Amino acid sequence: MVEAKTQLDVKMKVVDLDVFYGSFQAMKNANLDVPDRRVMALIGPSGCGKSTFLRALNRMHDLTAGARVEGNVTLDGVDIYAADIDPVTVRHRIGMVFQRPNPFPKSIFENVVYGPKIHGERNRKRLLERAEKSLRAAALWDEVKDRLNRSALDLSGGQQQRLCIARVLAVEPEVILMDEPASALDPIATSKIEDLISELKKQYTVIIVTHSMQQAARISDFTSFFLLGELVEVGTTSEIFTRPKDKRTEDYITGRYG
Amino acid sequence: MADAAMVNAPDVKQDLSRSRARGRRLVDAVATLLLWSAASIVVGLLLLFVAYLFYKGASVVDWHFLTGNPTAAQAGGGIGPFIYNSFYILLLTLAFTIPIAVSAGMYLQEYASRGRFRQIVQFSAESLATVPSIVMGLFGLLVFVEAFHWHFTALGGALTLTLLNLPAMMRVTQESLAGVPATYREASMALGGTKWQTIVRAILPSAIGPLTTGVVLIAGRIFGETAALIFTAGASVSYGRSAYDPSVWHTAETLSVALYQTHREALVPDADRIGNGAALVLLVMVLLFNIVARVAGRRLSRRLTGKST
Repeated sequence: MVEAKTQLDVKMKVVDLDVFYGSFQAMKNANLDVPDRRVMALIGPSGCGKSTFLRALNRMHDLTAGARVEGNVTLDGVDIYAADIDPVTVRHRIGMVFQRPNPFPKSIFENVVYGPKIHGERNRKRLLERAEKSLRAAALWDEVKDRLNRSALDLSGGQQQRLCIARVLAVEPEVILMDEPASALDPIATSKIEDLISELKKQYTVIIVTHSMQQAARISDFTSFFLLGELVEVGTTSEIFTRPKDKRTEDYITGRYG
Repeated sequence: MADAAMVNAPDVKQDLSRSRARGRRLVDAVATLLLWSAASIVVGLLLLFVAYLFYKGASVVDWHFLTGNPTAAQAGGGIGPFIYNSFYILLLTLAFTIPIAVSAGMYLQEYASRGRFRQIVQFSAESLATVPSIVMGLFGLLVFVEAFHWHFTALGGALTLTLLNLPAMMRVTQESLAGVPATYREASMALGGTKWQTIVRAILPSAIGPLTTGVVLIAGRIFGETAALIFTAGASVSYGRSAYDPSVWHTAETLSVALYQTHREALVPDADRIGNGAALVLLVMVLLFNIVARVAGRRLSRRLTGKST
């Protein structure tokens, strides 16, 4: 721990992670340290296992029939796959934003307070405060403050995705996982989401899967490169993009892979 | 669309292609006509049926007929108690069917893994669904009427109808839940929701529209059911028993059973008149259930999902 002064705190640590779908091994022996309050980008070609890896970090694979996870994933040093750990608590502390905006077919307000409500908050005033705080943090408050009771489905795609981020923030997680959160959005909505992510890392640890290398370069502090179910290389984003150590990373960065 | 491609075809083949295209167009036109006719027959039959019943029954149905008491031997009897009994048994049946079937359907769709128990439940439900209603009626006769010594009761009738409709209601529940996008489930679980919270707060509100539609359609079926009730709820309101009895133990002849009885063994001289009127009332009721099913399902899902369009 002497080194800790010069190194960043590790928020999540992945050791020897394997993920299987039935007999197919989608992730082989992945190891990664995720630094606290930084943005970690996961990049690689389609089907390389980056989403599989991400979903192992909040036990979403528990919901998929036939999926199996082996190895260790720790949050603040505690193994989230340990027998005495409730996956519901894990997902309370590690939030997730999906590729396509997936608001509930409820009002904007009911969407944001969904998390607080299921975790027991009943007080209407506190719920309102929480909703405003989360919507402000997700840079959506000014656009929706006059129509909180309108359906979330009436919002644009970009607004819906920021609503989904607000919905995650309202649970007050420590880590936020994002699975290509801007891939279904237009460039303007995308840049809003990117600005938001840069803002979020002041308080949260963000791990983001992206298919866009430019996006990874713009928003992340660290980047991991995945290929064919393997985590090939991890480094600071500038290292990965300028001086990759592995030949495969270099080939991908310079556009020699699809 | 086909023509555009033909224009670019080589000259030599052009004539041949044209005649073939004409042949295919003809087949297409004939097929369209045949399918349209088949669809029209369905609509036509319904209209014919409704028109005929209105023609025969419309002059019979008035306030006195709808609310009056049936008579044993003289003309001029009404069908009031039969309507009361129909709704009584309907509500009692739904009170049994909905909790059991919705819970079982929810279990199968959301909880059960694809293991042996799930297969057994599914198989049992499907087998139960194939039992003819008259057989279910005889089962009710043996169990509720004789073994339990209940005699003919509304309760026995309702329980028999529950057995008859459980599988369909279960299937409706399963399909309504299966129709909810997986993304709602994922979103709720990712926010730290338990399975139960996810079902109650995220999935059920989205499934409530189709679920309501299914319930009301099944209600229409229960309302019109006859064979399963003759030997269980009984057919004897006209001789002496209290007509509007709130007890589950009362003999409860429903409208459809009364219709059957009127034609079979009525002593009243105007049995035809009563039959025509009762048939019309029954038909209109069942049609109403179908219309309500559509409207209510749509309304409810719009309210609960908050879509403003």
